[in-house]
Amino acid sequence: MSGMSLVVKVVTRITAAIIFLFGCYVSLTGQLALGGGFAGGIIIAVGYILYVLAYGKSEAEIKTSKEGAVVMMCLGMILFLMLALLGFIGGSFFNNFLPKGQAGEIWSAGSIPLCNLAIMLEVGAGLYLVFLNLITFNVTVREEEE
Amino acid sequence: MIIYLTCLLLFLIGIYCVAVKKNLIKMIVGIVIMEYAVNLFLVSIGYRWGGVDPILEPNIYNLTYVSPLPQALVVCTIIIGLATTILAVAMAMRIYEKYGTFDITKIRKLKG
Repeated sequence: MSGMSLVVKVVTRITAAIIFLFGCYVSLTGQLALGGGFAGGIIIAVGYILYVLAYGKSEAEIKTSKEGAVVMMCLGMILFLMLALLGFIGGSFFNNFLPKGQAGEIWSAGSIPLCNLAIMLEVGAGLYLVFLNLITFNVTVREEEE
Repeated sequence: MIIYLTCLLLFLIGIYCVAVKKNLIKMIVGIVIMEYAVNLFLVSIGYRWGGVDPILEPNIYNLTYVSPLPQALVVCTIIIGLATTILAVAMAMRIYEKYGTFDITKIRKLKG
């Protein structure tokens, strides 16, 4: 049985989904309150890291693959670049071309929530990928060559 | 004023940690402490007494906001600091793979 004890596994199984949901909430309401793509993405990555720490990397790699994280990271980057290039519809780079709406409502800030979504994908997948690469790094000390 | 002195103290702790310690991991921790001292300094420059968070809300005017520009800058520096820390840790792991130690006084061979 790899990973930590049974108590840690059960608590992780309950709280990981809540942490994921909270990260989505923080990043999708970034135009109204404190938060945004960076904070939400880091919260989501922390949820995945908790799962890996509790269950061990062999069982966690079944649920979350490294290739999927790479795809998510590249998707976030491409989405952000597309939003920046679509600003040329309104006239310039990064122009806010969508309708602005009423201030204080959930669909209000034009293309900023979509930018937050792209940053959430990028930061969350990137941080999780960095952690996964660092813990699967096999350190083999070479012999002294005299 | 005392918050600036706290930042200076944290920065000096980081410099001490980088300059005196002989373990590579402790030196990386010193670099991180220096980063956080600079971040705290920048955020505390932008603070206004009695200020609230700089978020525009409908039908509420005449509030004192804290300056949002250092906060945006500090968000960027936190992310870049994370990236540089990961780079330093990866380099330290490579050095450990090559030499078998983190002690910088024993990492002296240029080749082999």
